[in-house]
Amino acid sequence: MKADYVASLALVLIGLPLYSHAEDLTDVGEIVRRANLAAYYAGADGRSDARMRIRDSQGREQLRQFTILRRDREDGGDQDFMVFFSRPADVRGMVFQVAKHLDRDDDRWLYLPGLDLVKRISAGDKRTSFVGSHFFYEDVSGRNPSDDHHVLTGSDAQYYVLENTPKDAATAEFKSYTLWVDKQTFLPMKIEYANETGQIYRRVEALEVKLIQGYPTVTRSRMDDLQGGGHTLLEFRYTSFDLGLPEDVFSERSLRNPPRQWLQRPSK
Amino acid sequence: MDLRLIIVLLFFSPALLAQDGAAAVEDDWGDDWGGAGAEGMPFHGFLEAGFGGRLQNDPAAGRRATLGELRFRGETEIVRERWSLALKADIYGDDVESSIDGDVRELVLALAPAGNVDLKIGRQVLTWGTGDFLFLNDLFPKDFVSFFSGRDDEYLKAPASAVRVSMFSKLVNIDLVWTPIFTHDEYLTGERFSFFSAFAGGIVAPDPPLAAQQPARDFSNSELAARLYKTAGAVEYAAYAYSGFWKQPLGITSQQTLFFPRLNVYGASLRRPVLGGIGNVEFAFYDSRDDRSGTDPLVPNSQLRLLFGFERELVARLGLGLQIYGEWTSHHGRLIQNSLTPQFEADRLRTLLTVRLSYRDQRERWRLSLFAFLSPSDSDNYLRPQVHYRLNDNWIFSSGANLFGGTQSHTFFGQLEDNTNAFVRARYSFW
Repeated sequence: MKADYVASLALVLIGLPLYSHAEDLTDVGEIVRRANLAAYYAGADGRSDARMRIRDSQGREQLRQFTILRRDREDGGDQDFMVFFSRPADVRGMVFQVAKHLDRDDDRWLYLPGLDLVKRISAGDKRTSFVGSHFFYEDVSGRNPSDDHHVLTGSDAQYYVLENTPKDAATAEFKSYTLWVDKQTFLPMKIEYANETGQIYRRVEALEVKLIQGYPTVTRSRMDDLQGGGHTLLEFRYTSFDLGLPEDVFSERSLRNPPRQWLQRPSK
Repeated sequence: MDLRLIIVLLFFSPALLAQDGAAAVEDDWGDDWGGAGAEGMPFHGFLEAGFGGRLQNDPAAGRRATLGELRFRGETEIVRERWSLALKADIYGDDVESSIDGDVRELVLALAPAGNVDLKIGRQVLTWGTGDFLFLNDLFPKDFVSFFSGRDDEYLKAPASAVRVSMFSKLVNIDLVWTPIFTHDEYLTGERFSFFSAFAGGIVAPDPPLAAQQPARDFSNSELAARLYKTAGAVEYAAYAYSGFWKQPLGITSQQTLFFPRLNVYGASLRRPVLGGIGNVEFAFYDSRDDRSGTDPLVPNSQLRLLFGFERELVARLGLGLQIYGEWTSHHGRLIQNSLTPQFEADRLRTLLTVRLSYRDQRERWRLSLFAFLSPSDSDNYLRPQVHYRLNDNWIFSSGANLFGGTQSHTFFGQLEDNTNAFVRARYSFW
């Protein structure tokens, strides 16, 4: 595990020339575009196991484990997701399907295995808890970059620092957020959300990055609720990209009958 | 064995056992990502105690208890490349019916004989249609006894032994379900709940419980259900057909025994986003084949059923669902003319409104819901408030009530007034 991590770090370093640019970017739009692609659009599609450890302000823990399939309809554009829950027992067998749209509300379905019921879920507040964790739906599927104004406020050897404010204040609970984008990988490494009074109440940090099939990938991150207390640790494993997922995998058929061929963990 | 004692012990022991649950979570976080699921036989399940009783006297039933059980669920599956076999079975000791029962909820072999065909053979729970607790084109068996007694919502759907063939194509998807032996709903028999009898002219809880004559076990008496469906962008279209029997014994033979009259159903539905939420429309025509003219007082008339639904999030994690439902009885004049008890027949148009309010907190520890059935035509109602508390990944506690009310004792929900009950449940899940 440790050796694995060191090896991937080495890979990232060796891979540097692939991602580094002779000169820093100054176009904030380009930085935002690349960060969005790096964080949410690696490869044409992907699969990964994921688990969350949710710790509330009183130290009580819950666990969630699931497998995600993703397919991009267009790089930086609409995407399809399927989330297959395996733990804990009361959500095991549930499947969540999302068709993410940039120009209209997402389409969402939930399959409840006990009732054999495919439930359509109305497009809800995207800035609310994803399956009880401290991550929001929008943290998992990506916030539309065009929802915010972006300003490049700083830059050091490692990061571009961006200040972001929502175009429509009603669409978000934050006043602004500060984003640290890695200059080599363009992965967002830290985001801090500030409220009306400028106080930082929410922070997400990438804790581990691995190079998977040439794509720098955040494999471990942590979301902290700095106001209410509590945090969620999110880990990805058995990740692979460019599987050639067919479009029709993202359908009611897969809700009722999980596509085992695509859910299998990649053999290393 | 005193079941009641076990239930009480189990119900008050979670504080003790909760420690185990928390410890297990810590351990799991190490490097346990579970098996790849390809070769092993996982075992999951739960142990659950449930206890419930009437909130008032029921002179007909003569007892308070409506739920008293200790239930064990075991689930496993074998998954191979080309097939899988899944088993879900319950064993439960039932204090109300004084019995120990088993219930195989799923024993199903799944195959994909061709790239665009899925096959499921065996005992399985089946659901389709767009209604929320209202079923128009879903003629698969339901268990209203479980629904009214406070068991988990999952038990509203009863399993059937059937073959399901699903075919997928760009043009349209097709589901065909063949149930060789007619499987009726779990209806009220008097064993647990009392109900209105037009014969007796009042509320009864017959002992021995109500029995109905089953259709002969003959291939011509099997059930066939079909669904054609397609999702185009955000819009879901479906058409349905069913051939079989009324799922409850609504017919009376000349020997005065109950039976299941023949029934065909045809319908369609549409579901799509609208006004920031999800809207749905569904209709079904119930063709009562044994009484198409509507003149036979012992067999139900044909009906047209229509549903409009809308659901949306009001604020984060607070959802609202509304449904308007109507049952229009054809040849209603003839029904009244020929009925032996015209005063107890339903209106030409039976109307029903439902409201669902649901809330969950940030960490999804608390889930609160209220589902209300309100019938303007029958002047009766049924309210289902429920609270679920998730102590940790193992323990869930639930409590709720089934509140029936009405101005008359013969209407759909009004007849159940004396069955109004409350319940508590404690479930320990393992995986």
